[in-house]
Amino acid sequence: MAQEASSSTSSKTISLKTGDGEIFEIEASAAKQMKTVQRLIDDLGDDITIPLHNVFSKELPKIIEYYKKDITGEITKDFEAEFVKDLNDDEVKVLFLAANYLDANKLFEFLSQNIADRLESKSVEYVRKYFGVENDFTPEEESKLREERAWSFRGIKEDE
Amino acid sequence: MAKKMLYLPFELIIEILLRLPVKSLLRFKSVCKSWFSLISKPNFANSHFQITVATRTSRILTLTQTPPRKFQSIDFEINSDSVSLNHNFLPPPYTYCQIKGSCRGFICLYSFRDIWIWNPSNRFHKQIPLSRFGSVLHNFTYHLYGFGYDQSRDDYVVVLLTCYLITNFSCVLEFFSLRDNTWNEIGKTHLTYLNTCQCKAGSFINGVVHWKLFEMPLPNDFHHSRENYGIWVFGEFLSLWVKDYPNNTTEIWVMKEYKLHSSWTKTLVICAEGGSSFYKPVCRTKSGDIIGKDHDRLVKYNDKGQLLEYLHIDRYADDLAMYTESLFSLPGEL
Repeated sequence: MAQEASSSTSSKTISLKTGDGEIFEIEASAAKQMKTVQRLIDDLGDDITIPLHNVFSKELPKIIEYYKKDITGEITKDFEAEFVKDLNDDEVKVLFLAANYLDANKLFEFLSQNIADRLESKSVEYVRKYFGVENDFTPEEESKLREERAWSFRGIKEDE
Repeated sequence: MAKKMLYLPFELIIEILLRLPVKSLLRFKSVCKSWFSLISKPNFANSHFQITVATRTSRILTLTQTPPRKFQSIDFEINSDSVSLNHNFLPPPYTYCQIKGSCRGFICLYSFRDIWIWNPSNRFHKQIPLSRFGSVLHNFTYHLYGFGYDQSRDDYVVVLLTCYLITNFSCVLEFFSLRDNTWNEIGKTHLTYLNTCQCKAGSFINGVVHWKLFEMPLPNDFHHSRENYGIWVFGEFLSLWVKDYPNNTTEIWVMKEYKLHSSWTKTLVICAEGGSSFYKPVCRTKSGDIIGKDHDRLVKYNDKGQLLEYLHIDRYADDLAMYTESLFSLPGEL
């Protein structure tokens, strides 16, 4: 049964349940920044544990950490650098998908730029593998493309 | 245990691609056919440009004439990011080249034989013939070029004001539309006095090529020779810089209300380190900082006249312009 929003929503916490069954708490004002969560709260009420089928216990704490900083206005370039420092390219991808599912705009934009920064100097082969994209060029077509833009292929990082 | 592959839907991949620099995008055209097609679309170039303008700092283009002629592209924020630009499309016999404007990633270059529209980021270039009056080159004509974008037609325009110094400063105004691929004469006029300051900014204010303000009165107490001042557009305002040699400073004036002579306001005075004889402002960043050249350094002052930082550059790099990376090529061309 849905309740009316209390006058002290800022101190109210919402319970979120991940796809793998774990429960995490988040402040209502932070939940507001994730439009999917807010929509579920509007539908189901803020006293019920909100189920997030597509987000898991590995990512949700990180996302909560980001928005905890956001509501206190503490997101700086240094914080953002630190936030992604220990994540590998695949972990960022998972977080990025979760931010998209949660409709968490600020985090989504930040992670889009971070993934772009990671891919900036990577090879074509690495990018194909990263996105699971198949090469549908013939060998002749591909070598012609590389010849035409040989200068854009210089300065690429070695694949790990 | 095999790692599970996490696929991103194409709309999400696009969000990432829009935030990549031009060089990477051109390389990633080789990833697959759908990416090639996406990155080649004008819509994508447009969205990419909007994001670049909002999130990245502009680059500075420098031109050194003394042989060997060199173009350099510098990112002020990242000191080590200074790239030498390939300009093989300019044939060697050209002994003189000048940057006439910069707009949406394109640079307008002038040589005595023709004009080039060049995008240094994707190496696109197009040659434009000189106009009827542009081809008249002798000591008594003065040519003033401008370059800009006409949003209503998605068209780029080169404008030329030719002034005859002997016949009472009579002038002819011509423009070249890249879409129409032809020069047209707009009209003839007389100037009451000749301001021969060179204007590099390529934007239009209120649909009017802003360097037409030669017909507008300049601030009072303004008596300077042609070498000592220049104009650019800052935000929505017209701005004028002028060197004051006796006081060893450079003044920045802003016209707070377009076409209103009395609205010229002196906003800032810069005292360049070591005297201002070598200092010359070039452009203004979005945040209001003024970038200029001081002998062999690129210097950045804030809007309070304080020196923020500097970069060493070629002391013979005479011609400078600010530009933004873009994927654009010209309408109708690949």
